[in-house]
Amino acid sequence: MLSVENLRVVYHDVISILNGVSLKAAAGQISVLIGANGAGKTTLLRSIGGMLDIYEGDIIEGDIKIGEASVRGLDSTDIIKKFGLTYVMEDRPVFWYLTIEENLAAAAYSRWDGAVKTDMEKVFEYFPVLKKLRNQKAGYTSGGEQQMLAIGMSLMTRPKILLFDEPSLGLAPMITEELFRIIKRLNQEGMTILLVEQNAHAALRIGHHGYVLENGRVVLEGTAGALLENEDVREFYLGAGAKERKSYQDAKRYKRRKRWL
Amino acid sequence: MTDLIQTLGAGLLIGCVYGLLGLGIVIIFRASEAFNFAIGEFLVIGSFFFYIFFFDLGLPFLVALPLGLLASGAAGALIERLSIKPLLGRSGLSMTIITLGLASVLRASVQLIFGAHSYSFFIELPDITLESGYLLFPSERIWAGVLSVVAFGLVIFFLFRTRWGVAIRATSESQPKAMAFGIDARFILLLVWAVSSMCIAVAGIMISNFGALSYLTGIAGLRAIPVVLIGGMDSIGGALIGGLIVGLCEALVGSYIEPLGLVGFKDVAPYLLLLIVLFIRPYGLFGTARIERV
Repeated sequence: MLSVENLRVVYHDVISILNGVSLKAAAGQISVLIGANGAGKTTLLRSIGGMLDIYEGDIIEGDIKIGEASVRGLDSTDIIKKFGLTYVMEDRPVFWYLTIEENLAAAAYSRWDGAVKTDMEKVFEYFPVLKKLRNQKAGYTSGGEQQMLAIGMSLMTRPKILLFDEPSLGLAPMITEELFRIIKRLNQEGMTILLVEQNAHAALRIGHHGYVLENGRVVLEGTAGALLENEDVREFYLGAGAKERKSYQDAKRYKRRKRWL
Repeated sequence: MTDLIQTLGAGLLIGCVYGLLGLGIVIIFRASEAFNFAIGEFLVIGSFFFYIFFFDLGLPFLVALPLGLLASGAAGALIERLSIKPLLGRSGLSMTIITLGLASVLRASVQLIFGAHSYSFFIELPDITLESGYLLFPSERIWAGVLSVVAFGLVIFFLFRTRWGVAIRATSESQPKAMAFGIDARFILLLVWAVSSMCIAVAGIMISNFGALSYLTGIAGLRAIPVVLIGGMDSIGGALIGGLIVGLCEALVGSYIEPLGLVGFKDVAPYLLLLIVLFIRPYGLFGTARIERV
């Protein structure tokens, strides 16, 4: 189980992005995090994955725990090795100039066991299309294939917890659906997943629990089903519920209304 | 005709050494977008390590060379740790500027430790001088070409066939992505500097073997600038081709244009060639045109 407690993060010592976020990703579940651009979703994942340093970010308060152990301030390499938590960055984090196979090998760099080849076959079983392209440079594959590769690469690190940052970014609805099926399947095989999405509807449908992040705070949480039904979420994230056009002013009023949370 | 063959042959042999120097620059540039201006000093330091093991301690060549290279690699790694690592994640430009300062510091240190005089440097290797008619390729030149090509091949094997090589290429593409998948980018950067210093050291030992070794031998390292700019800053194959082109250019100018009264033109010619290449292909012959997205 992954838990974030009252996390505050600033970039360059001044730009405050997370203002006390608390959430839990229960073991064996898919937890979904939705929120508008700039809400702090990516920053939250970077903090958990140990990637804040290179973006000049700092955790100034709060804690991140996996089970009972705190991973605050640890490097991504340590977090992957010791805690089996892998962060799949947004925008298809694959290496363009490496072949598909080399990409998978590169992701297995932190491991020294001899099972890399078998794991690669397992990835090819999840994503048969990658097997056909195994000697192709990743930069020449399609967006969907790159995202599949990115997920495949994360599996090569033998994770127990996976953080996905907008896997559906820029992909056709059909591909998105397929990716979400795979994420669901990974979860059914025992993986704990924290999924950040703009595609709130699709994400909440496969998720168990959901959080809404706004201005660096969690403003709403509940079971995925409850969030799907929630009037505000429907209106502002699912684009439903509103009969007439909403003006920006209304959106601001909504934020004011939620501030106390 | 024999004249031309003699010139071309000599140009290609020295070109291989230049190519190796270029490789040292290219792998660092790919990994951190920094240009290592301290290449001349790395060259001198590597040569002195070998000098100590081979001449001072009298070890056999096949022992002294690996030891010298290991020491150079360690020195490169140490220098990276002290001066480059704190800049991880910053722009390549700041690292490049650091290497400028590094060059001064290292040159002065070498002068302090080893003095400003020349050390005679001659490695007794099996004589493989090629001589037929008017053609003459001296043994040490042939050895330089051969050993440089072997070193080049070993580095390519390392980069494309080993787990560290894959990790180096991955990190070179994107440090954040590499770190997200558990590749220790800091260690990889260290490794890159170590490998680069070894390349430069091999080239340095070969160049010293043509004459003598002093802290000024490092000037030969500047040859790497036209080499990588002609070949393309981020192209490994381009480094070899660029090296050969610069070697040939130098040799041709040396035997056909300098006798016309333009003494020293041989050192300028590669830069003129570079200018022409950059007019036509701003990224070098094999460099990738980059699209910068901020």
